[in-house]
Amino acid sequence: MNEVGIDSASSLHTSESIGEAPVLRPVSVRAKCSSNVQSTPEIEKKYVHGVYDAIAPHFSSTRFAKWPKVSAFLNSLSPGSLILDAGCGNGKYLGLNPDCFFIGCDISAALINICTDRGHEVLVADAVNLPYRTGYGDAAISIAVLHHLSTEDRRRKAVEELVRVVKKGGSVLITVWAREQEDRSLIEKWTPLNQRYVEEWIGPGSPRVRNPSSPRILESIPEAEENSAGERLKDRHANSSKVKLAEVMNSISLDEGNSSAPAGSEKGYAEQQEYFVPWHLPYHRAEVSGASAVALASGLAKKDDKKGSVVYNRYYHVFSEGELERLVSGLDNAILVDRFYDKSNWCIILEKTS
Amino acid sequence: MRLLTHNMLSSNIKGVANGFPLKIEVVKVVEKEVDFNIDFLKNMFHKVEWKALVEASTTMGYAELPENADATMLDSDDFLHKFHHALLELHLEEGALVCPQTGRKFPVQKGIPNMLLHEDEV
Repeated sequence: MNEVGIDSASSLHTSESIGEAPVLRPVSVRAKCSSNVQSTPEIEKKYVHGVYDAIAPHFSSTRFAKWPKVSAFLNSLSPGSLILDAGCGNGKYLGLNPDCFFIGCDISAALINICTDRGHEVLVADAVNLPYRTGYGDAAISIAVLHHLSTEDRRRKAVEELVRVVKKGGSVLITVWAREQEDRSLIEKWTPLNQRYVEEWIGPGSPRVRNPSSPRILESIPEAEENSAGERLKDRHANSSKVKLAEVMNSISLDEGNSSAPAGSEKGYAEQQEYFVPWHLPYHRAEVSGASAVALASGLAKKDDKKGSVVYNRYYHVFSEGELERLVSGLDNAILVDRFYDKSNWCIILEKTS
Repeated sequence: MRLLTHNMLSSNIKGVANGFPLKIEVVKVVEKEVDFNIDFLKNMFHKVEWKALVEASTTMGYAELPENADATMLDSDDFLHKFHHALLELHLEEGALVCPQTGRKFPVQKGIPNMLLHEDEV
């Protein structure tokens, strides 16, 4: 693996930090709760943990395909390695390399139960605050986890934890959903979170949600009827940004090893990065758990009779090109050894240096 | 929960300086056979806090590990098999892990430790 220079990426960090300047805003309970980086914000409790707990068996039944690049990473590790999977979900990568030993953790007890039923060694823990000794693992992976963390500080802390728990010389693979989706029509099915919502729930430190021209009031967000949401998206938001995104998609190469952003390309991106992404739980699945009845009653989920499903919204912060590199650029004990784009995900491999 | 995991876990409650090792409260221990992987044992030997493993193993009802161990013992099949058994084949199925500094108990149910902290612990 070659070391990849990240100077250009880190130089962009300044503009990224503008949003972190102190801003006067109404004091709310939520804002107080999110003052500690390790304290889980309400939006993650409700729209990440709560949702995965409710959809765990159905989610798991759809999560069996293993990404070749993750498999390749795991198979490249020395026989006898201890691999730590932080945010392991249903445990689809646990045990993938039979010469290594895996320990997985996830914040969703429902998903961890599934892992245990499959015979994996797992525990319930928070990836932002791993209850692990330093340097015990030989490698760590974080697959499709960081995009569920709602502030940059929490995403950075989760990366620091991954690095902390591996030995010196150990490697860390991180993958996150890209804002630059291969299938752009997918984004139209997502509900963009508006400025007011993001400030209230996530705080002004969250970068690049600067589109007050798309006012969606808080109450309207949980609506998950895909068609109408898609129409609104087109009407209010996407006409301009969709074109920009299309331009960007055409201008960047998605080939491995050629993912460096041309200078200034940031400006061309659709700025939206905070979304609710629907999860359709078929009625026949929903009836089994009983959790859906509670979710429907509390407004966490909605019925979609056309599709015959209960629709949950999952919170996502989709990563822009270069954002993952910037997030790790401040680490003084790890270097970036590889980065690539794979199946609508940005991916990096870090090596712990001290 | 295997003792491999116990040897990694550390109480991360805010303000706790020495969260390792967690004390084990045993309600139920089960044993499950695991394939012998000598590369893994030799790798982990250098990372495992031996004293913590011996104590945990004894608490779980397996007292065959030597009080002290050094790398030369990795040449002994007998030693490797005992190490293997303690590290990977003993499971705490029901019980708790106790923070050595605060006494806070983390439950272990169906073999799964729940290490999540309360709001006032982070």
